[in-house]
Amino acid sequence: MVCIMKFDNEKCGYCGACTSVCPNSSLELTENKLIIETDKCDDCKRCSIVCPLGAFLEVEGN
Amino acid sequence: MKYDVIVVGGRIGGSVSSLFASKNDLDVLMIEKQPEIGVPLQCAEATSEETFQTIGIKPSNRYICSEIHGAELHSPDGNHFRMYPHNDEIGYILDRKVFDKSIAIQSAKAGTDIMVKTTVKDLIIREGKVKGVIAKHLGRTMEIEADLVIAADGVGSNVARMAGIDTLFGTKDIGSCVQYKMVGMDVDPNLMQIYFGNEIAPGGYVWIFPNEDGVTNVGVGIRNHKKTAYHYLNKFLSNFEATPVEMNIGGVPLSGTVDKTYTDGLLVVGDAAGHVDPLTGGGIHLTVICAKIAGEVAAEAIKGEDISAEFLKRYEERWNDKVGNVIKKSLKYRKVLDKLNDKELNALAKFMKGRDLDSITSASLLGLVKESPSLVRHLKDII
Repeated sequence: MVCIMKFDNEKCGYCGACTSVCPNSSLELTENKLIIETDKCDDCKRCSIVCPLGAFLEVEGN
Repeated sequence: MKYDVIVVGGRIGGSVSSLFASKNDLDVLMIEKQPEIGVPLQCAEATSEETFQTIGIKPSNRYICSEIHGAELHSPDGNHFRMYPHNDEIGYILDRKVFDKSIAIQSAKAGTDIMVKTTVKDLIIREGKVKGVIAKHLGRTMEIEADLVIAADGVGSNVARMAGIDTLFGTKDIGSCVQYKMVGMDVDPNLMQIYFGNEIAPGGYVWIFPNEDGVTNVGVGIRNHKKTAYHYLNKFLSNFEATPVEMNIGGVPLSGTVDKTYTDGLLVVGDAAGHVDPLTGGGIHLTVICAKIAGEVAAEAIKGEDISAEFLKRYEERWNDKVGNVIKKSLKYRKVLDKLNDKELNALAKFMKGRDLDSITSASLLGLVKESPSLVRHLKDII
């Protein structure tokens, strides 16, 4: 079992804090949507640390 | 479509850059991803007189919510002391939604074309030089050429990264912020309130900045913590009888400027470049200075037909001359503040009460050595 990040769009404030720390540029913020390129994500969890509203959750996954 | 300069981002950094580029007779396009410039608010809105002097405008009541004469700083044990600026400089709390838009309007009047609700998806790069943008507006993708692009697209700038500039910040470098505009906070209308403490705001602080009409900006910035800024703000507010009328969310770069703010055909301005005071998180006055320089250097580059990195280097040299030392000094202070535990913060507040920075003498410091030797050890690099 590994932990993966799950993004809850309803908790997103569209501030861009997560994009500023994503080392793989897997996050793109548009006007009102966070686009996640999951194949680029290496699950470093930095996005979850800086998110002011806790929109990234750590969940159990494979 | 072909412009001399495309500015990506329409808030302070973008609007001031485009204003000064247009004033210098360039053909300028400014692209804003939001449908309305200045919205949503992502700022605590405090700035100084210098902001208006730099732009060359008089402060207007249309966007000034309050005048600030000083700050009251609160330590974790509830002690507090006041600080006033040395030169009696007046601070202001702005209405950024009105202010940003008013600068954009000035820029438009100076000749800037503006596209709103338009996202930059990529850069046009030819022979290693940025030559324009690929933008999307209401589902329509378009190529827009320009000799120079200014990236003023905020923290985590995609545009700078597309040009190969590293704007990646560490989690310790980003202030994670939430703010409410609240009704019912009973505070002095001319003082900022700042609360420190590792239980109140780990790695940052809580602020209460008075607006007008009984509204206050109450926010928190924290760094590198498992619990959210939202959690800390609500915890702080549980002691107050007040209610929000607006919520603002943002990330603030607090590690100083990025390593490089220019490349062939591109300049980086504002939060994207880390033009923020790392101690306070305030960036309006710094961004305005750097954005003005960006607009002026853009004009020199276009008129001299040289948009090479070698030429554009002067942008970084000029902003560094103006604000580089301020940012570096604040980063040093912030790193000292980072080391202080609540006990040391309490000792510092107790020591500062009734003193201003000029009245700190060797003799008074000896008293502090007795009170909290560990605090003095932390402070020794900055006093």
